[in-house]
Amino acid sequence: MADQGAENREYKFSEIIADPAIRARWEKVRKYFFLRESTYDMSNRCNIRCEGCYYFNGEKQFAEENLHVADWKKLMETEKERGITFVVLAGAEPSLVPQLCQTCYDVIPLGCIASNGLKVLPQEIDYRIHISVWGNDQTSLEIRKAKDMLARQIENYRNDPRAVWVYTFTPVNIDQAREVTELLADNGHQITFNMFSAPVGYNGHLRHTPQTLAHTRTTMSALLTDFPQTVLFSPYNIMAHTHERGLHDLFSCSYPRMNPSTDIGLGRSFRQYRTDLQWDRAAACCVPDTDCDDCRHYAAGSAVVTARMYRHATNPLTFSAWLDYVDTYLAVWVRGYEKSTNLCQEMIEPPKI
Amino acid sequence: MNVDISQTIIRIAEIIINELKLEDVTPQTFDPDLDLVDEVGVDSMDLATIALVLRDEYGIRIDEDDYPKLTTVRIIAEYINTKLADDE
Repeated sequence: MADQGAENREYKFSEIIADPAIRARWEKVRKYFFLRESTYDMSNRCNIRCEGCYYFNGEKQFAEENLHVADWKKLMETEKERGITFVVLAGAEPSLVPQLCQTCYDVIPLGCIASNGLKVLPQEIDYRIHISVWGNDQTSLEIRKAKDMLARQIENYRNDPRAVWVYTFTPVNIDQAREVTELLADNGHQITFNMFSAPVGYNGHLRHTPQTLAHTRTTMSALLTDFPQTVLFSPYNIMAHTHERGLHDLFSCSYPRMNPSTDIGLGRSFRQYRTDLQWDRAAACCVPDTDCDDCRHYAAGSAVVTARMYRHATNPLTFSAWLDYVDTYLAVWVRGYEKSTNLCQEMIEPPKI
Repeated sequence: MNVDISQTIIRIAEIIINELKLEDVTPQTFDPDLDLVDEVGVDSMDLATIALVLRDEYGIRIDEDDYPKLTTVRIIAEYINTKLADDE
């Protein structure tokens, strides 16, 4: 456990990691620093249509589908050659093209698939599977136009260690997170949290306000306290994702869309391929077409907060919070990685630059 | 403080070899002009780790915006020596 009053003096990094608990966590997470991600839209089709969907905004939805396994295999081999070690298969609904997901898995065996969970992905595709949930089934019916979503998702992925549910908090579903978490806990599943982040030009009722951010923060905290085995999150995740300032403002987004540097890191290696296997540097980020000023997306934070290690290595408390964030990120995204108990129970402010 | 750059180069090479667990190379044989990203395979997290160790060693802050410039051991050594001279 980090020293709760240790943030008032300058620490050497060697002093920070001299704490046995911090050192152990540091050694645990740094083994995964080799992960280099890119993301891929797999299909331009989906079996449901949700209000505020990230895929069906902007130009990418109009890219032609490439369903040729050979082309995907060639793309994955090229990606592997240029150093990509982790793939995120998303948009619109990857489970509709399992043969392409399998092709990706055969070449790059670390990755994650974002799915609505209504169609089961074959067990042979041993990626992490993020199953999206936007509230209870009544809300899902209203926003996603799909009946019994959670019940069907749970049935489809019962006892499947690949699955983690991703609850997207919107202003209208905050109080439903508890019943969803309880249901997932009763079924032995795990959940992590996402924040609805408005697409460019979206001014609908799902956009968060300072009041809904604060309400979400208290709700997340209570759920993390009450369901520690079920909720994959940390106090610092809560702070970062419910802050009135968005992720870019807090941490300077390192995805190409907001980062002109091609020298190192995400600005150099990250690409977001569309269904025609083309990519556009100007639009490349984890959730293209999000309004960057409103971005609190879990995928963005997983890269952007994680990348800012140096600025968090100022004292044991702040570095512990960062380690919790990275530990959460790995548990959510990497198959077989087990979350540890959070080191920092305080909700500390992100470091000022 | 007037620091001999060759000593700084050797020490930085030693830190990089230790942190990245590089094999078949010593601080003396490490080419200081190798491109760390293209030729050694250093990524942003590696560089952040190296920067923290250098911060401890030399008592300097390395601005995150400066990372992309630090492409070789020699450039890092020059950067450190400049920072140390500025602090005098």
